[in-house]
Amino acid sequence: MELAIETSALTKRYGSLTAVNKLDLKVERNTIHGFLGPNGAGKTTTIKVLVGLLKPDEGTVRILGQEVRGDRPDVRLRVGYMPELPKFPKHLKGWELLDIYGRMYGMTVQERKEQIPKLLEVVGLKGRERDSVGNYSKGMQQRLGIAQALLNEPELVILDEPSLGLDPVGMVEVRELMKGIAKEGMTVFISSHLLFEVEQICSHVTIINRGVSLVSDTLQNVSHKLSGPATLQIEVAKISDAIVEAVKKLPFVSNVSQDGNTLTIELNTRDDVRPQVSQEITSSGGVIVSMSLRGQSLEEVFMQLVAKSSGWKAV
Amino acid sequence: MSDVKERRDRTNSGWMTRFWAVVKYELLWNIRKKKFLGMIVVAFALATLSLALPVILSNMIGQPLSQNPDYVVSAGAGIGGLGFFLFAIVTVMNSISGEFESGTVVPLLTKPVSRTMVFLGKVFAAFITLLSAYAVLFVYTAIGGSIVYGPQNNLHLVPLSLLGSTLSTLVWAAITLAIGSISKSSLIAALGTFGIFIALSISHPIVSIFSDQAWVLNYVPGSGVTGSIKDLAKSVSSGTDNLAANLINYVLHPSSEVTFYKIGALRPGSSSMIELYLEPLSLVLLRSIAVAATYILVFSFIAWYALKRAQVVE
Repeated sequence: MELAIETSALTKRYGSLTAVNKLDLKVERNTIHGFLGPNGAGKTTTIKVLVGLLKPDEGTVRILGQEVRGDRPDVRLRVGYMPELPKFPKHLKGWELLDIYGRMYGMTVQERKEQIPKLLEVVGLKGRERDSVGNYSKGMQQRLGIAQALLNEPELVILDEPSLGLDPVGMVEVRELMKGIAKEGMTVFISSHLLFEVEQICSHVTIINRGVSLVSDTLQNVSHKLSGPATLQIEVAKISDAIVEAVKKLPFVSNVSQDGNTLTIELNTRDDVRPQVSQEITSSGGVIVSMSLRGQSLEEVFMQLVAKSSGWKAV
Repeated sequence: MSDVKERRDRTNSGWMTRFWAVVKYELLWNIRKKKFLGMIVVAFALATLSLALPVILSNMIGQPLSQNPDYVVSAGAGIGGLGFFLFAIVTVMNSISGEFESGTVVPLLTKPVSRTMVFLGKVFAAFITLLSAYAVLFVYTAIGGSIVYGPQNNLHLVPLSLLGSTLSTLVWAAITLAIGSISKSSLIAALGTFGIFIALSISHPIVSIFSDQAWVLNYVPGSGVTGSIKDLAKSVSSGTDNLAANLINYVLHPSSEVTFYKIGALRPGSSSMIELYLEPLSLVLLRSIAVAATYILVFSFIAWYALKRAQVVE
């Protein structure tokens, strides 16, 4: 298994506060890896150590197989980073900023000429590239932040809260962009508060709290391990044995129980299988009155884990 | 994965490309700063005033203004110690500290340029900015001086004066950079340098005139010890702020000697001067260059070290 990010016993302290505590983080290459945690969990501190803005007190960091110790521009050459609420020099115009950053990446004039307009279009800043960054809204600065992180077509993209400050349309666009760049072979490491966002785009997830990793696995395994199998509750008018038997035969069904007119179906998949179940019941002569899917939300897993590690009463 | 792109390897792409990127980044910042533009406007206004005022006064009293073929060489661009200090402050007070204050340091330091390169690029950009600003001022003064005071002698020495003025400014710039880099505050950088400038400006004449230990001032930034070249009746100061004038004096009068004095006794209506020591102008010049270079290097090293060690917490 090739790793894009690997930390071993990573520890970072601010005075007496331990922000990151012996963190072992492994991010596989060519995945979209979500990094979750409540406020103050140590997400941004971890990311700042990864990109060299902070020095770890203990432990080691390897990025794309290279150990990060001290000032490593050669490692940063292969990494794109978008900070949380990025701030750029206000006196520069959008295209000037990208052009200068492109030069810092060692891009040729031709490469910059090709890549910058393409990125400006992708992030929705086309037509505003001649404006000073100082005149950009928070959302536009966020979009510029994404563009500069992708400028060098990096092998690893680290995004700290990329949807912060974006409108709903922008959030959807960013999610699609993330999926697109992952298809191009980039590894995406994304820190987010938005659990539904992570759930929609990430294949892997790490949840941390108080600087400690609570769980790190594929999204499917995390949900299965922690919230048990997902269940479908279906109320059917005129329920019959034929309906129950037909549902039991579906490949993604692990168990079916009946209580009056209500069927409780345990699933062994995280895919949305409601259409198939609905079709099976209908074709067996049943009429569905109501249907609800329960128990596979990442939010539930997240709340359960964080509440446990923080000593809170689970909601 | 059929969509996977083949990436370009830029590991060996040029050091110079990256360095110039940092220089351009900083130059664009320098020349678009309102305070820097304001300083240029003030410097031009003062240069214009110093050229126009004698003309206005001579017209008022009805006496024609006498020709002065050495005006440009002796006046330079009219930037004195205060001018050097102010130009240094407006150029570099937020070069490093401003990046930390505004948060722009985060995207900058996560680009594939070393912190040493960021620092060198910023210092080089400051040098280019000051040199360019002074060059324009010198050209303006040379043209204005020629119009007001007639044809000028030794105009070929103007570039030397330009270089000396820039070096003098870099002493204050290095101090400002170091304070800014350590404190990460533009305000502290400006106020700290201002405090040093004021303290030295007040103490220099007092120590120079009343003390037997005036030689100490040769080794601190500022105006230094004041003396004179007796044969030419020319006043000379040994400090880092006077590199331009001393360079010109040395080229024009290489074998001159400078006599340093202090005031012996102050009585109402009169004072007596005591001769302290005599030094060749070449020694005065070389020492002031060495002292300026030492200050530039030491304070630049401090600023570089602080940037190199800095952690970006916010």
